[in-house]
Amino acid sequence: MNTVIEARGLEKRFGRIRALDGLDLAVNAGEVHGFLGPNGAGKSTTIRVLLGLARTSGGSATVFGQDPWKDATTLHQRIAYVPGDVSLWPNLSGGEAIDLLSRLRGGTDNKAAYAARKARLIEAFQLDPSKKGRSYSKGNRQKVALVAAFASPADAYILDEPTSGLDPLMEGVFNQEIRRAASEGGTVLLSSHILSEVEQLCDRVSIIRAGKTVESGTLAELRHLTRTEVSFARNGLTEADLSRIPTIHDLALVNGRAQFTVDSDNVSPVLRALTDLDVKGLRVAPPSLEELFLRHYGDEILPAEASSAELPGRKARRRAASKVAGAR
Amino acid sequence: MSTVVTLFLQRLRRDRLQMLIWIVGIGLLVEFSVSAVKQSYGDVAGRQNILELAVANPSILMLRGTPEGSGLDQFIFFDIFTFIAVLVGLMSTFLAVRHSRAEEESGRAELLAATPAGRTLPTVVTVAYGAVANLVVGLVVALAFVAGGLDVAGSFVAGSATAAVGLSFLAFGLFAAQLMRTSRGANGVAAAAVMAAYAVRGIGDALGTPSADHLHTTVAWWSWISPIGWAQQTLAYDKNTLTPLLLSLAFTAVLLVLVFSLQSQRDSGASLLAGRPGRMDARGSLSSSTSLAWRLQWPTVVGWCAGSAFAGILTGTLAHAVAGAADADPNMEKIMASLIPGGKGSLVQLFISAIFVMVGILAAACATQVIIRMRQEEVAGTAEQVLATPVSRNRWLTGYLAVGAASIILVLLSGAITSSVSALAVGDASARIGDSFAAAAAQLPAALVYLTVLALVFVALPGWTIGLSWTLLGLGTVFGLFGGLVGMPDWLRDLSPFTHSPVPVGTSTDWSGGIWMLCIAVAVGAVAVASMRRRELNSA
Repeated sequence: MNTVIEARGLEKRFGRIRALDGLDLAVNAGEVHGFLGPNGAGKSTTIRVLLGLARTSGGSATVFGQDPWKDATTLHQRIAYVPGDVSLWPNLSGGEAIDLLSRLRGGTDNKAAYAARKARLIEAFQLDPSKKGRSYSKGNRQKVALVAAFASPADAYILDEPTSGLDPLMEGVFNQEIRRAASEGGTVLLSSHILSEVEQLCDRVSIIRAGKTVESGTLAELRHLTRTEVSFARNGLTEADLSRIPTIHDLALVNGRAQFTVDSDNVSPVLRALTDLDVKGLRVAPPSLEELFLRHYGDEILPAEASSAELPGRKARRRAASKVAGAR
Repeated sequence: MSTVVTLFLQRLRRDRLQMLIWIVGIGLLVEFSVSAVKQSYGDVAGRQNILELAVANPSILMLRGTPEGSGLDQFIFFDIFTFIAVLVGLMSTFLAVRHSRAEEESGRAELLAATPAGRTLPTVVTVAYGAVANLVVGLVVALAFVAGGLDVAGSFVAGSATAAVGLSFLAFGLFAAQLMRTSRGANGVAAAAVMAAYAVRGIGDALGTPSADHLHTTVAWWSWISPIGWAQQTLAYDKNTLTPLLLSLAFTAVLLVLVFSLQSQRDSGASLLAGRPGRMDARGSLSSSTSLAWRLQWPTVVGWCAGSAFAGILTGTLAHAVAGAADADPNMEKIMASLIPGGKGSLVQLFISAIFVMVGILAAACATQVIIRMRQEEVAGTAEQVLATPVSRNRWLTGYLAVGAASIILVLLSGAITSSVSALAVGDASARIGDSFAAAAAQLPAALVYLTVLALVFVALPGWTIGLSWTLLGLGTVFGLFGGLVGMPDWLRDLSPFTHSPVPVGTSTDWSGGIWMLCIAVAVGAVAVASMRRRELNSA
């Protein structure tokens, strides 16, 4: 299979801070790839390296087989990008910003097709393109960037937490557009810390933490990492009955229900035992990525670590500024 | 009550440095002006000469005000009061908008309005805070005059007049904040009102009727519709009457009533005049990073061009008067010659060159803002979106350099054209046209040096761009322009590009300094563009 984005042992240091510390990433052609990690894990830094906006301190990265730093302009003809923290020109309207970015990407050569796509997207995202950049809310700024990204077809879409400001309805529109882009043959790298959107959209995911890749694969491949949760009505079953169920973990009796977890690749013998016990009100929940995430970070990550690895740039200062403003 | 105190202290806390700079700056300006006037016009005869010249020349009256007596104190009031009034006016409008519309626009006002402070109390506190700030400024101005040895009673009248101007424009700033949707719009309207008040009283002063001894003027009605005009009519150090300030207070009161009635009617964040909607689609011309740079920058360029046009009009209209004055006062020629290094030529040419040095500084300042805009784009993250398209870093930078060079040329042209036209309009010889364009061209190299050197700063030390830009411009201006007057050593003066600008006076002009600077500007620009290839985007 054709690899569109490949990073090997990517390193990026900002002074003493290691934002990326040996990150690996492989995105195949035509797939929607989830790029997961908590805040400050290095997602945005990786994306900036892949766009040639930042240079690596070590390791290698290629996009379409080319060096993103050296061949930035040729690569950018094929890439659409949505930044995580969209800022717009205060005195340009949203419509102007969309046209400008699309023209810069060279995506407006076929004027009629571009106008139709733009009109359709503005309608779908319910965007008012006549407002000035300064008066958009965060979600609407994001919509402007999304419309600009989708308004002309690209070979690769690099989207940095693109739905963090969108309401659920708009997330639905976004999902549709991603599927459309993928069906047109586009490759999508979608960074997020919202697991549900990744779960719905992505063929494969890479999970990073503190600048390193900790897991990578299809969702099915990663599910072995978590346990399936099983619960049913207790209905007078004794502890002894329950203890006959094989290979279960964390057995608990809560509100008249028995619940436990089981390794996801080991569900069948458990189900057989449950049939023998003739349980009622059975619920078997597949592991969500939430749990997968919790297992990777929940018990180990410290708050200080999360913030120290944050890119020492705009995002961090914005956050600090908004805290100050909030305190007033 | 404790809410009021909290809000008041919050304003003070937020503005402490800014207000300190305004107030101390205005105080020092008064102090320096007093000693400068004392030095240049120490004797009554000299002052009377100047005043007669002034009364005969409407453009001086328009710029300065009307003379009211030839005493030193009165002369100083005539010389600087309108400038102080403009400064205090701007200080007050910025203060008003900063604590009203800017807060609403950013959404911070909403945070406060949701507390028991409500929608109106913060504005009440802003009025109180602005009033206190203006009283302090008035006091500082009065004390600075007293410290300069001026009459105490007159100084306090001048201080009160200053505070009254500030109060009027504090109220106007708050009114503009009710009208406009954005802080940028409100600041624009309010600052324009300050300039209009200055201009209107200028017309009234220029159209005034001089007394028989040419030492007093009865101003025309125009001066009586301007808050700055009212303050002038206190006639500090002469009649010392505070009555005209009642007009200022009434003006303030009426505007405040309007402000509070508008504010109590409208939603938080809304405005009397709705914001103009933008375009649905971009014009066809907005299709490159360079056209974007121009789109972002042209309003600023227009502002600097207006400043330069103002200087040009002065040059054109005054050159004639200067020629006349030179015959009357041989001292003038010496003063002019000291302003221009190595200047030997006709007094009028020297005068034109002297003013065009200022125009050159305006052009350099305009170029400085282009570089600062580029840095702001980088910090805001909008540059990132442009650079994520097929626009290379060096092409992006080159676009800004092109816009910078175009801005410089426009500012210089604006000065040269207005100077020529206004010289022709007052019936001066058409030879002034050549002098004006030569003087403007002479300023081009120094401004270009600023443009490319600051671009190199942007590439090499991005985090320093904004601070260093204004510092370098300020130092260059001080070393180059005033270095000769205060006897700075030559090597220090030589650091400033402005020192090396050619002076096109007389028959043989030495253009070598300009040619060297052009070479330097091109070389530095090339280095900046080449180095940009290797630089990461840096928003920190």
